[in-house]
Amino acid sequence: MSIEDSRRRDTWHVDEDDLRAYARGALAAPALWSADAHLTACATCRGVLAGVSDAAALDAGWERLDAELDAPRPGRFERLLVRCGAGDGTARLLAATPVLRRSWLGALAAVLVTTCLVAYSAGAVGRPTLFLAFAPLLPLASVALAYGPAVDPTYEMAVVSPMHGFRLLMIRTVAVLVVALAVGGAAALALPGYGAAALAWLLPGLALTAAGLAVTPRLGPVAGPSVVAVVWAAVLLVADAGRASADGPLAPFTAAGQGVSGAVAVLGAGLLFLFRDRFDVSGRRAV
Amino acid sequence: MPPTVSASGLSLHYGRTRALDDVSLRLAPGVTGLLGPNGAGKTTLLRVLATAVPPDRGAFTALGHDPGTPQGRQEVRRRLGYLPQTPGFHPDFTAFEFVDYVAILKELADRGDRHREVRRVLEEVGLGDVRGRRIRKLSGGMRQRVALAAALVGDPGFLVLDEPTVGLDPEQRMRFRELIAGAGEGRTVLLSTHQTEDVAMLCHRVIVMAEGAVRFDGTPAELTARATGRVWSSTERDPGAKAGWRTGTGSFRNVGDPPAGADLVDPTLEDGYLLALDGIGTEVTA
Repeated sequence: MSIEDSRRRDTWHVDEDDLRAYARGALAAPALWSADAHLTACATCRGVLAGVSDAAALDAGWERLDAELDAPRPGRFERLLVRCGAGDGTARLLAATPVLRRSWLGALAAVLVTTCLVAYSAGAVGRPTLFLAFAPLLPLASVALAYGPAVDPTYEMAVVSPMHGFRLLMIRTVAVLVVALAVGGAAALALPGYGAAALAWLLPGLALTAAGLAVTPRLGPVAGPSVVAVVWAAVLLVADAGRASADGPLAPFTAAGQGVSGAVAVLGAGLLFLFRDRFDVSGRRAV
Repeated sequence: MPPTVSASGLSLHYGRTRALDDVSLRLAPGVTGLLGPNGAGKTTLLRVLATAVPPDRGAFTALGHDPGTPQGRQEVRRRLGYLPQTPGFHPDFTAFEFVDYVAILKELADRGDRHREVRRVLEEVGLGDVRGRRIRKLSGGMRQRVALAAALVGDPGFLVLDEPTVGLDPEQRMRFRELIAGAGEGRTVLLSTHQTEDVAMLCHRVIVMAEGAVRFDGTPAELTARATGRVWSSTERDPGAKAGWRTGTGSFRNVGDPPAGADLVDPTLEDGYLLALDGIGTEVTA
């Protein structure tokens, strides 16, 4: 029995023009879904499809499928990112982010736990100054360790790739910030005695991070964030010296101080965007 | 044949150190060797031509685009393959994952096409069978081939290789030379190396650099010919020679201006290289 005889006798088959379009990859949904479902069950239409398909295109399709099936299974972290909605390319870029390694995340959590323990043992519950002073440095340090020749072994390859350096920086920064803020937030919850005041580190944290990135093109990925951290320490010392009472909050953690932090964060983000092309070439270093 | 790369007056300083001094060159398809002692400026020149760092002065075009503009730089990078002097890896990645990572950086967006390309380049460098193995478990030679595979992703028209044979044993070095020779077919390859054997076996052209400047630019045969009549054998090291060393037969091979009646011998590429450096860091006594 020929394929044509079989097609005439059965009740429904995919139209031959649709099969040609399917073979070219030009068939649109919902006809595409119908064809997909029908072809899995109908040998007759598969035979027609083989006849109308361009042999080279068919081979290319098989090769693509073969390559896809042959690709090694991504690691757990990448699979988790994909399940969270990241594209497979973005997931791989993030998996290559030095700071998103288990060792760093472990260190981050350990530092925060230690800070909480120190805060408790010093009898400082109710006065979150130590925690608030320290916590904004975590996102700054995390972002600083996400990009740059000192920490990224593939930096030189990345910088000469067509993907803009600023784009790669932003992908990593957002991911690292989310993790650092989540870990910091969890630490704040571990200090219930502080109440909502324990969240006063968030805006200074964003301000330091934005300022650190904004000065990186000029000072470098190590010196830039380091200078910002020193400035933060100096601000805290000055605020402590000028504090009205020993129990009062430091100026950066008052409403006015939060406003200043917000303004610095916006200004830093603006400067960062202005200097974005500077992330597209490597810094000067003797070789 | 029009040049793939045309550079004019490239200069670059690291603080007070002059790394490149008015370098001009033109590169055409085929493998061009870049020879020079440590600190000659080879890596700096390669980083400039690979668009990693812009020059202080001078300009160049590559593959018909001007990397001095953001758009031109982007276009050059789309057709560039770069193997840095010390390629870094994410050790937890497999060979496939690492090359795939570089392919993503090279904007190969379609997952199926990208995976096919990754498989192609890994097969090309002979690592198809170990593509699923973690990089930290690969030998040094295999890692170097992974880095070459990453450089070959996207079929680049201009390939920049910075001392790819350093640290490889003789067998691995031969394997790598075969790969570079293959990569040089239809492409422009700039190969920085300390090994004159690399140049003799691979390159149709050689550039010698010293102190940030070009000292020689020509064919390997022309570099060798520079030493014709300037290499001689003696029983003692000739104090008038620019360089001299004891050979396996016990006699001394001297390079420089021979004394009258000297026992002249056929020059090699290495002799021509030493003379091109003209005494800079070439005092070889053994």
